[in-house]
Amino acid sequence: MKNLRLLLPLFWLTFFVASCSNDTTDPIDVPAGEFEKGVLIMNEGAFGVNDGEVFHYDPSTGVIKKDIFRAKNFRPFGGLIQDMVEAEGRIYLVANTGKVEIVAPNDFDLLGGISLGLNISRSLVAVNQKLFISDWGPYDADFNNPDSFVAIVNSLNGGEIAKKIAVSSRPEGMIAAGNFIYVACTAAKKYDVISVSSETVAASIAVEGNPTEFLEIEGRLFLYAQDDNHAIFHEINPGNYALVRTVKIPLANSTPIIALGEGSEVLIVTSTGWPDYNDAVAKVSVNSGQVINPSFYVGNGIYGLGFKIEGKEIYVAEHNGFQGNGSVFILSAAGLLVKTLEVGKAPSGFIFK
Amino acid sequence: MFQAILNQELNPVKESKISLETEMTSQDTIALSSVEVFSPSLDKYTFGSTIKYISEKDLEIFQGLPLSDFLQQRTGLFLRQYGSGMLSSLTMRGTSAGHNAVFWNGLPINSPSLGQSDFSILPVGGFDHAAIYFGSGGALYGTDAIGGAVHLINKLNFDEGHQVKIASVFGSFGRWNQQVEYSFSGKKLSTRTRIYRNFSENDFLFRNITKMGTPIERQNQVRLEQVGVMQDLAWSVNPKNLISTSIWWNETNREIQPIMGSNTNDFQSDRNLRWVLDYFLFGKNKIWNVKSGLVRDDQTFNGSFNQTIQYFLSGDMDWEINSLWNSKSGIRITEIQGNLSTYQAKESRIELYQSTNFRPSERLSFSVNLRQLVFEGNLAPFTPSIGGEWEVWRNDSHQIHFTSNLARSFKVPTLNDRFWIPGGNPELQSEKSWSGESSLNYLFKKGDFELSQKITVYRMKVDNWIIWLPKGNVWSPENIREVHNSGLEYGLGANQKAGEWDLNMNVNYAKTRAINQTVISKNDRSKGNQLPFTPLHKFQSIIMVGKGTFSTFLNYQRVGERFSGTDGSGRLEPYQLWDVGGNYNWSIRNLDVNLGFQINNLFNTDYMVMPLRAMPGRNYQLNLNVKL
Repeated sequence: MKNLRLLLPLFWLTFFVASCSNDTTDPIDVPAGEFEKGVLIMNEGAFGVNDGEVFHYDPSTGVIKKDIFRAKNFRPFGGLIQDMVEAEGRIYLVANTGKVEIVAPNDFDLLGGISLGLNISRSLVAVNQKLFISDWGPYDADFNNPDSFVAIVNSLNGGEIAKKIAVSSRPEGMIAAGNFIYVACTAAKKYDVISVSSETVAASIAVEGNPTEFLEIEGRLFLYAQDDNHAIFHEINPGNYALVRTVKIPLANSTPIIALGEGSEVLIVTSTGWPDYNDAVAKVSVNSGQVINPSFYVGNGIYGLGFKIEGKEIYVAEHNGFQGNGSVFILSAAGLLVKTLEVGKAPSGFIFK
Repeated sequence: MFQAILNQELNPVKESKISLETEMTSQDTIALSSVEVFSPSLDKYTFGSTIKYISEKDLEIFQGLPLSDFLQQRTGLFLRQYGSGMLSSLTMRGTSAGHNAVFWNGLPINSPSLGQSDFSILPVGGFDHAAIYFGSGGALYGTDAIGGAVHLINKLNFDEGHQVKIASVFGSFGRWNQQVEYSFSGKKLSTRTRIYRNFSENDFLFRNITKMGTPIERQNQVRLEQVGVMQDLAWSVNPKNLISTSIWWNETNREIQPIMGSNTNDFQSDRNLRWVLDYFLFGKNKIWNVKSGLVRDDQTFNGSFNQTIQYFLSGDMDWEINSLWNSKSGIRITEIQGNLSTYQAKESRIELYQSTNFRPSERLSFSVNLRQLVFEGNLAPFTPSIGGEWEVWRNDSHQIHFTSNLARSFKVPTLNDRFWIPGGNPELQSEKSWSGESSLNYLFKKGDFELSQKITVYRMKVDNWIIWLPKGNVWSPENIREVHNSGLEYGLGANQKAGEWDLNMNVNYAKTRAINQTVISKNDRSKGNQLPFTPLHKFQSIIMVGKGTFSTFLNYQRVGERFSGTDGSGRLEPYQLWDVGGNYNWSIRNLDVNLGFQINNLFNTDYMVMPLRAMPGRNYQLNLNVKL
């Protein structure tokens, strides 16, 4: 009987250990971080206050988590977030106030950063375990940026700038393709091509319009640019960086704010300017060179666009005059309003996970 | 003045409080046989209004420091300070930085292009004393005086002979302020020359909360240097004619403190020339005044040059009609030239004003003020004001006064608002306000103990408030906002003498509600919220204990939470600061020496007035003033 009394707890202990051991075989070993799924919303922040932040939205629960950088790292981001790039298992928060913060995608824990040597940083690409950061450089007395550059950092976790490559004025979006890094230089109306191997500018090619961003559309490389009356897509041969052709789509007042939709469809924000300043989202087809819908959505102060492949939802961000928090409107594929979110100051971009 | 001694926001009760005034003046200035050069009374037509006086003695230990430092540390006012020694704009009763008028010897010195003054480049030393008018004062002072007005005043005396004053301040972070003054005055002529240089490396330590590990760093790119010259002259031609003039050149060169987390490398240079010439004709019961002046502001920011020049010509007649009635009628003409980096503009303004005092009895007084300004053929809002004061009760020890005031005010859109390229909006209307306030003022005096308390409640409505909004790729201003302001101001002053001991205490508290009433779009959540960077509460108090030639003080200020967004987003933490100091005075023959030492931010509090603008921790200051 006495042995039985001892056996009973042993039995339960065995059962408990067995159930635990079952758990250890589950993928929970590598915990799914709270931000590995859902939508990361980049809020640029207000000028002079530099309160850029990242919000997380979980579409399945409808829960928004505010200021996830501050919440995890116990300090404000402290900058205006120009771009948010996910690459090499990291998220890079590029501030146009001259710094880059690097966080883990799963929980936003800080991994590193770059704080010295940048002026007005705009975007970033990671290539060959190095970071390439486009930067306008300082303003001159006439508020031009003649000393723009791409900074190279020799570690994916940041650190000191190893080299600066002078590029044409006001570099914006970049893309790595083949042996080259392409840089859209908006003020110069050029795209510069940096050789990854030599880390020098291999070519600087003039284009029509003000180029801002590169897109990969159905396996082809395009550079998006705008003029007063057109949305312009320049196709580039990634093998030899030559300009292949230019697609000019008649869309007045197009802005640099775009999102790649389905197939060759691109969503573009338009703004009428003075005196009405009506903003809209247009949908164009690069393949056909036509405007599908010039005002898919009409709004005011549209500052960011995103296309969520899953559900084909369109995320439209409005800055509300930079006076307070901004709003995000989630639209169905048909353009119907599904949900409105209150987000941070000047929402301007998304990462859908 | 009683108010000057107790250093709180008391109403100038003028003739009705003479019994207290006469006993107090001995503390304000050293009794001399000199005669003060006449200047028009600022508070003559202000029955019912709240005015705070700042005396030379109050300013003594702030020699060479920005006026913003004094106002932030020693009053219930809140200034938006964008760093140490950087842009400081005053917000009065919940209005914006451009909603207060600033005068130097009666000349409006707000920049016509920016519509405001930077209080960080107005050094103590550019004037002798100051007065702050609370509430809408458009009828008295013209454009900009929606939340209030600040007057900086030079004071000259006749019959003082030769005098030399040397004032030095040495402090932490390379602070060295030096001022030298020579004055001579006879029975008819008074002249004074003053030169100064104020310098600070300003390289204080701060915690950089925007960097990994929030390291302690030394602030760089913050050096500032200020130099200036001032010349005053007064000539009493005969008992009926007086001419006085002042000219002030002030140059400030500053590295602009970067916002934490950024690597900006900005440099700003401000050069300001101010000149005023007054002619007074004293007739029987009448004083005629012709005033002319020039205010030139040159600002260079990173090589970008902006210049404005204002020319003034005004004339008025102050008439004591009889024992019951006083009247002042006047006209002011202003010519403005703007040579800005993106545009050029000229503007002519003319304004007519009328002030009247009526005192039906010893215990009851009223002021009525009217003003109409016309700019480039456009009528600014007509601005009347009416105020009154009633001595409710009085005996040998106690006085209770009730004051009340109703006023309209306005602000002409700035040159930048209308003409800046791109975005300037020539169609803008003047901002306008209605303001009402009531105060209860209690004075007590018994033996060597004096006490004064004042509580003021006010309401204000500001409409056509101009804000700059993004319009596509450019920002443009619009008359879009309406704000309802209300609040409470409390001031207490107490003084106890006991033999050689002297105990003083002053308290200022301001509760300020500034609630936005409008939305700019359907998604705007700002309606019903407090305006950004406007603390609901500010409290300040100082205790001074003196014995003979030695005195000490302990100063405390607490600023409540502020928000950076119009919708209540972006909360800034409240902060509280303590300062402590001591002062020693001694005289050897004709030599008067004042030596002071103070510790600012005694507990090394890590605080920010504006987001991510670092402020210095504990710092030390030594003052040495010599007069011979």
